[in-house]
Amino acid sequence: MILSHQEAYIQLASPIHHWLPRQKLISLFALMFAFAAVRHLALLLPMLAVTTILYGLSQLPVSFLGQRLRYPGLFILTVVLVLPLASGETVLWQWGWLTVRQEGLQSMGLVLGRFLSILTLGFILLGTTPFLSLIKAMRSLGLPAILTDMTLLAYRYLYEIADTLATMQQAMRLRGFGQTRQRRLRLDGRVQQQLASLIGTLLIRSYERSERVYKAMRLRGYGTPQSPVKPAGTRQQVPDKTGWALTGTTLALAVGFVVAEVVLSGL
Amino acid sequence: MHIPDGILPVQVSAGGYAIAGLATWYSLRQINRKSDPTAEIPKASLLTAAFFVGSSIYIPIPPTSIHLILNGLMGVVLGYFAFPAILIGLFFQALIIGHGGLTTLGVNATMMGIPALLAYHIFQLRHSLGRSLPGTWGTGLFAFLGGALGLGLAALVFFVLVITTIPSGFDAATEQAAITALSIAHIPLMVIEGTFTATLVLFLQRVKPELLEGVGKP
Repeated sequence: MILSHQEAYIQLASPIHHWLPRQKLISLFALMFAFAAVRHLALLLPMLAVTTILYGLSQLPVSFLGQRLRYPGLFILTVVLVLPLASGETVLWQWGWLTVRQEGLQSMGLVLGRFLSILTLGFILLGTTPFLSLIKAMRSLGLPAILTDMTLLAYRYLYEIADTLATMQQAMRLRGFGQTRQRRLRLDGRVQQQLASLIGTLLIRSYERSERVYKAMRLRGYGTPQSPVKPAGTRQQVPDKTGWALTGTTLALAVGFVVAEVVLSGL
Repeated sequence: MHIPDGILPVQVSAGGYAIAGLATWYSLRQINRKSDPTAEIPKASLLTAAFFVGSSIYIPIPPTSIHLILNGLMGVVLGYFAFPAILIGLFFQALIIGHGGLTTLGVNATMMGIPALLAYHIFQLRHSLGRSLPGTWGTGLFAFLGGALGLGLAALVFFVLVITTIPSGFDAATEQAAITALSIAHIPLMVIEGTFTATLVLFLQRVKPELLEGVGKP
């Protein structure tokens, strides 16, 4: 699945890769929210520039971003493409009923700029931090234990359940599912029932498997008070100077964008 | 039906996180009231993964196909675990396919999760209001209502948020008309989602009834 590709560049040695996950998470989230607050065109280029610099620092290849932007990019384009045609009063170009308006074009630019910047920051975070370190950082920042356990367990079994579903769907196709021609614009009750049975069986198999998983977890001490002794080989990561510098700069930039936005709104 | 990053004002995104935080706190409080909440965690986790994987299935309606949301069904099966499960599922979706977003995670979780909790409570009504109905009609009817309203409410919140926050330049009356029209257009999808939920719940009742009684229910 794609998630394994997400960690394909986790072994690189960039400053962003060495940035402590906890500091990285707080700083990049602050910057994402600061970017979400941008409403003025004057901040669009600085926002894209900061994103480009951070992406460059991460040493992630452009193809990594390109692959991941394709699907969400198409989705957002369908949402915002209508803006230059429908929003605003200043007409830039007209051809018959088709009119492109300046205000709509500016709104579209802002939405696309924010979208690109925030999504890129998200991919920098996820592309340079192992998933388990990210969850551990979230836990240290106060993510409830139940949510942490659920996230880790769901992540652990995600691929296996996806494989189970793929096998079941292949078995259905081999038995002729999807071969009969359906009538146009008509919901086939039998197909719906077969798909409901497919998802139902997947749920039952997952449920039965979870009972075995729970028994195995209990045998290994799950649910009992935690031992104060740390497992051998675990080492507390210490933030270095580069990490502090990145954290300070990113948080200062986040504050700077918010202040600039407030100042520009007051003008 | 996920709101991507960059569309919503930051106040709405922050508000979404605040409401999602409250809903998570409430759900976890209900879960912790159970005699052994840790026993439910592996079940809820694997079912979360199964729902995440299962939501990729499309129902063919030639020449197109429709994508199921399954949030009502998650409420019906997972009870109070539905909200954390949806939060985790949306986090994975933002992570894996860039669907939704990290700043809009709270808004999307609220939009899908609160209707799921409502669907759970609607489904529980089968024990009281559905008792007078013959055979499995009560279970089927309340599962249908849970599934249909789960999708319907999520769609309504989605349209209200997207139409009122995108600077389209339309006046309030036009925006209201657009929300009404899009919501009405979703009624057939609500019927399909409700029917699918009812079919699946009746299948589970026949094959593994404990799945409808156990996880996440006090």
